[in-house]
Amino acid sequence: MENNNSSLSGRARAPRKPKKSQIPYAILVTILILGLGLYLSSLGAKLPAYLIFGVAFGYVLQRSRFCFTAALRDPWITGSTSLTRAALIAFGLAAIGFTAIKYNSVLSGADQTLAMEGVAPIGLPLMLGGVLFGIGMVISGGCASGTLMRVGEGFTMQVLSLAFFVIGSLWGAHDMTFWNRFNENAPKIFLPDIFGWFGGVVVQAGIIVLLYIAALKWQEKKMGSME
Amino acid sequence: MAEFTLDCMGEACPVPLMKCEKKMNELKVGDVLLVSIDHSCAMKNVPEWARTRGHNVEIEEVDDGEWEVIIEKTN
Repeated sequence: MENNNSSLSGRARAPRKPKKSQIPYAILVTILILGLGLYLSSLGAKLPAYLIFGVAFGYVLQRSRFCFTAALRDPWITGSTSLTRAALIAFGLAAIGFTAIKYNSVLSGADQTLAMEGVAPIGLPLMLGGVLFGIGMVISGGCASGTLMRVGEGFTMQVLSLAFFVIGSLWGAHDMTFWNRFNENAPKIFLPDIFGWFGGVVVQAGIIVLLYIAALKWQEKKMGSME
Repeated sequence: MAEFTLDCMGEACPVPLMKCEKKMNELKVGDVLLVSIDHSCAMKNVPEWARTRGHNVEIEEVDDGEWEVIIEKTN
């Protein structure tokens, strides 16, 4: 069937092991997910929807090899910005969806506090945590979603990352009252409050487009190709 | 034309890519490098990097979750 000598390599390599079909596992996992969904629906009406989103997110992440770590790391290492641009597009789409949900909640009479729900203050803990997380994710080879995805793929080294990811998250949650003291005077910035709902989307989209162009230029300069 | 191998099994991103970059500098034009990797992310970014650099690249899945990336240095 297939030629074991690749056209680039002259060396004859050992014949490949015949691969086992993974379809039975796929069927088994599908049945387990359906069972879990049925079980969750008995606990709460929203839980199966969360499960569907989780499974769909994991599938897209694995198939697309999307990686936030690489999006921020590859421009420095190789100059490639293809994942950076993918992340920017994802941010753009998320901004539109986020605005739609928030705007809808304001239209249907939610007060200002609900509109600010999920908007975190920009304080010292955020900056400190961002730098630490950035260093950690490059060393461990994956951010939160990437680590979870590769643990699912069976990459054993990142089971270790996952263990410490859980420990770190629990530790952080435990000390949150301490960290929140630094957030008391930190500003909370929500673009629609400053520029209005339409202006907020325009400003955000403008920044993303500028970053996208910068990413293209960066790759052209570093790698001589815009691909 | 010489052939080189590079074992990156168990190495997470970005180590395979950086090893590859270093190794490619030692190769002459026409030489071939065989990189063994088992990190799905490296399976994407190593070939992408090599192709953008203008090298010839082939990917072969030798086993479930194990790949061999074959790079021919062209410049």
